[in-house]
Amino acid sequence: MKRFMAQHAADLVQLVHEAIKPAAFVAHVRGSGDGAMVVFDGFVRDHSRNRQTLYLEYEAYEPMALAKMHEIAANIHEQFSVHAVAMVHRLGRLEIGETSVFIAISAPHRAAAFDACRYAIDTLKRVVPIWKKEYFEDGSVWADGEMPPVPSATPAPETAS
Amino acid sequence: MPLAATIGAGYNPQMPSVSQTIRVRVLFFGRLKEIAGCAEECLDFPATADIASLFAQYVSRFPLLQQYRSSIVVSRNQELVPWHSPLSSGDEVAFLPPVSGG
Repeated sequence: MKRFMAQHAADLVQLVHEAIKPAAFVAHVRGSGDGAMVVFDGFVRDHSRNRQTLYLEYEAYEPMALAKMHEIAANIHEQFSVHAVAMVHRLGRLEIGETSVFIAISAPHRAAAFDACRYAIDTLKRVVPIWKKEYFEDGSVWADGEMPPVPSATPAPETAS
Repeated sequence: MPLAATIGAGYNPQMPSVSQTIRVRVLFFGRLKEIAGCAEECLDFPATADIASLFAQYVSRFPLLQQYRSSIVVSRNQELVPWHSPLSSGDEVAFLPPVSGG
């Protein structure tokens, strides 16, 4: 059963197939009542386990990935005193140095923004159905990933931690 | 035409009863997509089947899938569910390898 997740009007959650322009997301979440913003910019590294990376390809189960990203944003508002969340992940082929994921979180005070941003990227990497394939000179591999936690057959009421 | 007049009018007794099979949409991602050779397909399946038995059917077609079984999570209609969840006609089932976004 799908839980209804309230979406905050100031939030922005996207999957994109073209270059991420951080300035647009930063501007989107910045409010006059805020005093801080924490951003996370994840970009493509030129190596992986001592091998030189040529490029990456990301794919997603798009509707489910978007739903999970909206869930993360909603959970952030339940757990942290923040104003707005922008979260975008890019799909398709990415070259070295290009941004794959960008998160910007604004808040009246910095502590909540730091905590929420850390929660956002850690949770995204654990639960959002996106997959990364790494391409090298001599072949390609699917990156090691994490198994998302599966609710039990009779879900208990969720509590904010 | 009144609805009642059409019931049974075109019924073909050789058609299997709708209660015996269901049609589900099956999706594969990442390395599972490469092993299965397709991203998605629609499959008719016994109505009593669960997701585990659906996967077992794919293992019989693509034996390599079995070695990833313990690292796969499954979703039904875009919600993660246990392997022994039942299926209904029209369900969308996806087999998800460990996620690696970010």
